[in-house]
Amino acid sequence: MLEVSGLTKVFPGRKPVTAVNGITFKVDAGEVVGLLGPNGAGKTTTIKCILGLVRPTAGQVSINGFDQRTHYRQLLRQVAAVLEGSRNIYWRLTVMENVLLFAGLHGISRREARPYAEHLLESFHLMERKDAEVRSLSSGMKQKTAVACALAKRTPLVFLDEPTVGLDVETSYDLRRVLRDLAAGEGRTFVISSHDMHVIQDVCGRVVIISGGRIIANNTVEDLLSLFRTRSYNFTLAGTLDGTLTEGLARAFPQATVAARGGQTLVTARLSHGGQLYELIDVLRLSGAVIESVSQVEPDLERAYLELVRQGRETA
Amino acid sequence: MRLAPVFAAVTRRTFVMFKSYSFNSISSLVTMYLVFCLMFFGAKAIGGPVLSSAQTLEAMVVGYFVWLLAVYSYSDLSWDITNEAQVGTLEQLYLSPVGYKWISCFVLVSNAILVYSLNIVFLLLMMVTTGKFLRLDLISLVPILVITVAGVYGIGYMLGGLALVYKRIQAFFQVMQFVLVAFLLAPVDRYVWAKLLPLAMGNHLAAEVMVRGKHLWQLPPADLLYLTASSAFYLALGLAVFTRCEKAAKKVGLLGQY
Ligand SMILES: Nc1ncnc2c1ncn2[C@@H]1O[C@H](COP(=O)(O)OP(=O)(O)OP(=O)(O)O)[C@@H](O)[C@H]1O
Ligand SMILES: [Mg+2]
Repeated sequence: MLEVSGLTKVFPGRKPVTAVNGITFKVDAGEVVGLLGPNGAGKTTTIKCILGLVRPTAGQVSINGFDQRTHYRQLLRQVAAVLEGSRNIYWRLTVMENVLLFAGLHGISRREARPYAEHLLESFHLMERKDAEVRSLSSGMKQKTAVACALAKRTPLVFLDEPTVGLDVETSYDLRRVLRDLAAGEGRTFVISSHDMHVIQDVCGRVVIISGGRIIANNTVEDLLSLFRTRSYNFTLAGTLDGTLTEGLARAFPQATVAARGGQTLVTARLSHGGQLYELIDVLRLSGAVIESVSQVEPDLERAYLELVRQGRETA
Repeated sequence: MRLAPVFAAVTRRTFVMFKSYSFNSISSLVTMYLVFCLMFFGAKAIGGPVLSSAQTLEAMVVGYFVWLLAVYSYSDLSWDITNEAQVGTLEQLYLSPVGYKWISCFVLVSNAILVYSLNIVFLLLMMVTTGKFLRLDLISLVPILVITVAGVYGIGYMLGGLALVYKRIQAFFQVMQFVLVAFLLAPVDRYVWAKLLPLAMGNHLAAEVMVRGKHLWQLPPADLLYLTASSAFYLALGLAVFTRCEKAAKKVGLLGQY
């Protein structure tokens, strides 16, 4: 579906900025891929380079086999996008006018576009406001309208650059539900950039993490989570803190945390490899602690992400 | 890719937007009308050798009409580009598979439909006010005016390109209006270079039709050739400059920035 190889963008200027530095990745049809990375990582630039709104310095982009250099018009027929930080839509027009206009820009007549437009507005709970001017809507509704405008083009691939910024919990849920339904029901492909890990964890099957213009991870959400799932443990120990325990832990597991909690002691340790679990249990046994329960720390994407970005910075 | 739905969509947008901005458009026309009255009756009062002949006053009505068409044509695209870059819809237009060249063409044509119909009303108003009833031989007039404004749109594309890259070029527009007046008044009957300026030949030929009642086929073929060639040249030049500016804007990442 989408193939990006060696994509590089250097913004010219007195001090040239390398925003994207040799990015290579693929997205298969029907996938929902999250594009993650700290501020200034190059996510927006990557998306705009793929769309040809920013001219890449080097590298190839193709969508459904259409190369950006040689078949740009055909490439554009495959995509729609909601871009970050811009209005994307006309505030002076009504919600419905906007949706039909953007379908029209994609060559779809009003008559053809209307049923699907209504379906979209229905799923976004915007149908009652369809004849309201966009400027009179709340910012969440504006955002949903912008997404509906992109979806109304019925393109196989859709880019959403930070679509949930500033949305309340319910609206964000709305949006995620629609995206999941579209991906599952219509087999559409999405590339979503977001700083909201709940959104990513909720809708994306795979994430590409960018930092400093390079890809530092490209994994399924499952894999990323299990990478971190296997290694963090909570031990609940009977009794209060004890000197030998703290000492022993400090020596072997300096990163472990020990905390007292209502007559019990809670130890949390992250292990660098699986075999360390025995060592940890040995330390506990030697200190005479009684283990009441063990549990794996429920991994969340946010931690996995932060850890990867930190590692990425260190190796860079 | 079918162009018809895209044209329909853009035109509809223009018309709906016009409704919400119609006060601006109407009031600017009223201003133009007042300025015209001032000029016309001022010129009539002063009289003098230059303006004494009735034909000169008539030519003035024609000139003002052609100038109005030009003023509304050359700045359209840059206004649109600046506004849309500001609100962030320009990038969306650039995502249309028909390409922005067509989109901009549709924007211009749909604006022209609106503005020119207002201008026709304006022309009738001028004729009633001045009592100079000009000959509106549409078969001769429309081709001349269309070819004339095509050249002006060339200038419009150049300015549009500059607007893509430099954004705030509106200050330049004030000057441009007077430059257009200079083009309009260029002595086409004395110098060859004057025939090649934008607007100059078009205005001259429009006056021939409207004031002297000539028909298209009675006009000197050489003059028609000058008109067509210069308009084609300015249009081509404008599109070329615009394409260069698009490339530059995409290189620096300016489409979405204001
Ligand atoms: N038009 C431009 N001209 C010069 N530098 C730019 C331009 N656009 C982006 N940059 C720079 O490129 C780098 C990447 O920016 P980009 O907007 O792609 O990051 P991002 O990952 O989208 O960040 P965020 O999470 O804040 O949206 C930044 O250092 C930014 O300052
Ligand atoms: Mg961004």
